Amino acid sequence: MSYFLEQVLNGLSYGLVLSLIAAGFAIVFTSTGVLNFAHGSVVLLGAYLVAVLHDTIGFWPAVLVGLAGAAVVGVAINALLVRNLADPNPGTAAILMLGVDIVLLTELTRRIGNQVLTLGAPWGASVVRLGDVTLPTGRVLAAGVTVVAFGALWYLFSRTDLGVGMRAAAADGPTASLMGIRLSRTAATGWALAGILAAVAGIFLTSFPAPGVAPTVALSAFAAIPAWVLGGFDSVPGAVVGGLLIGLTSALVTGYEAELEPFLGSGFGEVAPYVVMIVVLLVRPSGLLGSKEAVRV
Amino acid sequence: MSDAPRKLVGLVLLLVALALPFVLTDFWLQTGLFVMATAIGAVGLTLLVGVAGQLSLGHAAFAAIGAYVYAFTTGESTTTVEGLGLPPLLGLVLAALVAAGVGAAFSPIAGRLRGIYLGLATLGLVFVVRHLLVNLDQWTGGFVGRSVEPFAVPGFSFSNRDPDYLAVAGVEFEGLHRLWYLFVLLAVVAIWLASNMRNGRTGRAWANVRDSETAAAAMGVGVAGAKRSAFVVSSAYAGVAGAMLALAYGRVAPDVFSLTASVDYLVMIVLGGLGSVAGAAVGAVFVTSLPLVLAQYSSALPFLAAPGSGGLDPSTASRIVYGLAIIAVLVFLRGGLAGGARRLRERFTGSTPVPPVDRPVAEEPSRSKETTR
Amino acid sequence: MSPPLLSVEHLDVVYDGTITALSDVSLVVEPGQVVAVLGSNGAGKTSLLRAVSRSLQPYGGTVTGGTVRFAGEDLAGTDAADVVRRGLVQVPEGRRIFRDLTVAENLRAGGYTVKDAKARAEARDRVFDLFPILAERRDQPGGLLSGGQQQMLAMGRALMVSPQLLLLDEPSLGLAPLLVDQIGEIVTEINQQGTAVLLIEQNAVMGLRVADAAYVLETGRVTAAGTAAELAASDEVQERYLGVAVPVVATSVVEAEPAIPTAEPPQQLRVEGLTVRFGGITALSEVSFTVEPGTVHALIGPNGAGKSTLVNVLGGAYRATEGAVHYGDAELTALRSDKVAGLGVARTFQNISLALEDTVEDNLLVGRHRLMRRGLLPGALRLPGARREEREHRETVAGIAELLGIAHLLRTPVHTLAYGDRKRVEMGRALAARPSLLLLDEPVAGMTHGESQDMAETIRQVRRDLGLSIVLVEHDMPFVMGLAEQVTVLDFGKKIAEGTPAQVQRDPEVLRAYLGAAAA
Repeated sequence: MSYFLEQVLNGLSYGLVLSLIAAGFAIVFTSTGVLNFAHGSVVLLGAYLVAVLHDTIGFWPAVLVGLAGAAVVGVAINALLVRNLADPNPGTAAILMLGVDIVLLTELTRRIGNQVLTLGAPWGASVVRLGDVTLPTGRVLAAGVTVVAFGALWYLFSRTDLGVGMRAAAADGPTASLMGIRLSRTAATGWALAGILAAVAGIFLTSFPAPGVAPTVALSAFAAIPAWVLGGFDSVPGAVVGGLLIGLTSALVTGYEAELEPFLGSGFGEVAPYVVMIVVLLVRPSGLLGSKEAVRV
Repeated sequence: MSDAPRKLVGLVLLLVALALPFVLTDFWLQTGLFVMATAIGAVGLTLLVGVAGQLSLGHAAFAAIGAYVYAFTTGESTTTVEGLGLPPLLGLVLAALVAAGVGAAFSPIAGRLRGIYLGLATLGLVFVVRHLLVNLDQWTGGFVGRSVEPFAVPGFSFSNRDPDYLAVAGVEFEGLHRLWYLFVLLAVVAIWLASNMRNGRTGRAWANVRDSETAAAAMGVGVAGAKRSAFVVSSAYAGVAGAMLALAYGRVAPDVFSLTASVDYLVMIVLGGLGSVAGAAVGAVFVTSLPLVLAQYSSALPFLAAPGSGGLDPSTASRIVYGLAIIAVLVFLRGGLAGGARRLRERFTGSTPVPPVDRPVAEEPSRSKETTR
Repeated sequence: MSPPLLSVEHLDVVYDGTITALSDVSLVVEPGQVVAVLGSNGAGKTSLLRAVSRSLQPYGGTVTGGTVRFAGEDLAGTDAADVVRRGLVQVPEGRRIFRDLTVAENLRAGGYTVKDAKARAEARDRVFDLFPILAERRDQPGGLLSGGQQQMLAMGRALMVSPQLLLLDEPSLGLAPLLVDQIGEIVTEINQQGTAVLLIEQNAVMGLRVADAAYVLETGRVTAAGTAAELAASDEVQERYLGVAVPVVATSVVEAEPAIPTAEPPQQLRVEGLTVRFGGITALSEVSFTVEPGTVHALIGPNGAGKSTLVNVLGGAYRATEGAVHYGDAELTALRSDKVAGLGVARTFQNISLALEDTVEDNLLVGRHRLMRRGLLPGALRLPGARREEREHRETVAGIAELLGIAHLLRTPVHTLAYGDRKRVEMGRALAARPSLLLLDEPVAGMTHGESQDMAETIRQVRRDLGLSIVLVEHDMPFVMGLAEQVTVLDFGKKIAEGTPAQVQRDPEVLRAYLGAAAA
């Protein structure tokens, strides 16, 4: 029973980290209509910056640099490339982001090489014991930070001018600009937010129990795509629900792999999110919490 | 460009393709085989994405199905993997048919989804197929894959054997040379068929479904049927491309058909210009040959370092060039290479088709008033 | 003398580099004035507002000539956010409220540029004074408001910046007469609080009632200007927009045999008790009428009356909630769109829906799709049958292009064509399908008077030569008067009158719908 509980808690915590990434997808998509295939590289970039800087400037300053770096890269991608597309539409933008992802990921991979960089997180490999359930401190911390991050997002989007303006711009850009809301500014804010969320996720995805910063971390962003999609393309709460669902599914399928293998084959944990996504899309083509009219591609 | 110069260019290219094996080294022949295989896949994808407007990130999954169907149906059973030992020609046809069938089976899903939703659902397809390839190891050989029977027709094998020695005009024709001609034939047929479909009744129906499903249906085009036929045709192309890749490698393994491969196909058709059959082929040349050529000639390029030395090794360099090329084309070249070529031609011939227009227009061309109340 | 609040001089606006929306438009709004701009669909009214509020760019429009000055300053080089900060706000057509945001959040977005909390609170109080219902429903999502309340929210949202000049785009669109009157009173009240208003209206009576001065815009040009009283008295405005003084030309039903008997004979079209609802909104309510074979039947009504919805149901694009439509023996409402087309029902679209990258010839050939038999494989292999078929149909569409005067454009991609030519291509595509029933959705919207005349002639000729039935949707009453044998008038989704053009024109309900409650 405690094994099951451990899997569930691990899954929830992993799911929350995924939902940070998924929320980044949703925010970028609603604020600029871009399917950000380079999001995984930004996740990696945030973690990479922390890993190379923590020795010289200390862990917490390095975290700040990591978050800022990821935000700046996101804003720059939007300002320099997305806004200058020769033929701006969701399709070309998505493929542009594939190009950006290839460049970023290749360069980061080259810099990291064959090593696994350590993050230098102060919580290290410590664990937290709750009764007979043992959880890595990093996972518990991740859950806490994620909850705080989503609280901050909620405050931003419902209690501040900027956030309400961003929602207005996402709902109907041309009309929002008639209110004096500058779409370039809301777009930049969206990309910056997504970058920050990605870097936070990157830090937790590369600290214990993960071995450290390696290029494969970028792939975890792909696992967040099903979370984003099944939550609904334009919904941050949807991203949370989707992330939790995918996190739980992955953790349980992986945790009980031995029992499931005869039916599902080995390594089903990697595929399960996509199977869940396809099934959800079939039943609800606009995701669990997505609005029907929000996307006209 | 009218038909005559286009045909002339095609003929010249064909003659060059037929002559190349007499002069090319094995490396270039091998590269050419990969290029032709992926070009066929790209042509199929441009019919689906560019002409019919159905975004697919799952092309590699269909290519994988083609490759493994060929390998399984033509292979002999061994202690580790099973095979049917069918004639290779039948295997190639089955590769196309099974891939097309899976495409048809997937089309009801595709019919419910649009745009990016569809793209992401097809993304899932890549992962599902990969999972099957790894786990159905008695047929696929699992992670390591399985070897592939060379193509053959009765009395002639497209390999180094049977006949063991074949020379034309003093050049020995080995497996690579023989396969080259098979691939040229397949590529020519595939491009010809695609152009005909693009320019005929079917292609017009696809293009109208892409531009407006409502208008297409109002003209009597069955929208679901048109989407299904586009999926079936593009999957069949992918199936053939996959079988050809299997032949060119001599092996199949799941990693050949990863998500990266799907992305590569998409990049080929976007670089070439969506909907352009010729553009897709040109895109395939660039995307497929770039990494191979950079790796081959890395020692001759001063800025490249040996792999693992921490410097800029050839595969890293080719990935970066590749990524930058995608970005550059999308930012600077409207309509991809085909669009650029068209504009260049128009400037060259001095004919701009845009007439001066001085008529007033209805406002708000995209929004129906009745629905805004 | 101080400069006028807004002065537009010799303004030219072009969309997508090719399509002219406004040419040489000049207009003045003095401080404290209400100025109305009247004109039909496609006259360029919205483009004018967008040029003033600097919001053309997202729609692909650019100012190619002339100037727009606000309080004496040239607005060239400013963006939408700048002009809002200067006190010039546009309320877009169709309200465009943020449906998922609450009323309070909508207002907050409206006051985005006001950083002073006190000024903002005052503005919000003023809005709540003006529209008490908004205060009452402040925490509900905007999407739950009724149409009239949404219009109030849209105006309140704009008033959050306490503008000097308010641009209103069709505030009465799709509202019931009583609400139209109420909106008119609110506009007057806003004006009395010191805000100048530039008002765009299709409802000429409403526009002229609240305005001090007015301009008439037709196909991108100012064709009349003056005080509201002058314009209301002018014959031209009465004819064009009030539809009152038009001499009715009785149309004799053509009994002659069709000259080109290409189509299957037309059938009777029966619309019975048709109701269409979208979510909570009833777009059509129990509409019934019959179109006799071989006649031209017009559906008219103000914007938002449900005409396009009806055409979309006839063509199979929308589902009927209740009721049925029969064409001969076939029940159209039970069929998919492509099956409806297969029965010989072809249509055009209000907003033109062509494959833009393809040539005119390819677009026309799509019309032949249902008449061509060769499938995917014969086409891919270019079998002799497929080639012959393709050739024959190319010849046919060349003939159709000839008929419509677009033969010289056959090899031209559609996206390079002018608007009027695109309309003709779409008509040609519908005719290429060899219909026995032709549905035309606003075939002359956005055309000049001369082009409209040409199109009317083409429609007559098509009816005469091909002997088919035509259902013609128009909001422009004079246009259909000389064309149709029967007219059905819709308003707010209900049939309010039907009969011959002459009968309909005298019907008090129709006058009311077109002229507003005050006229009845």
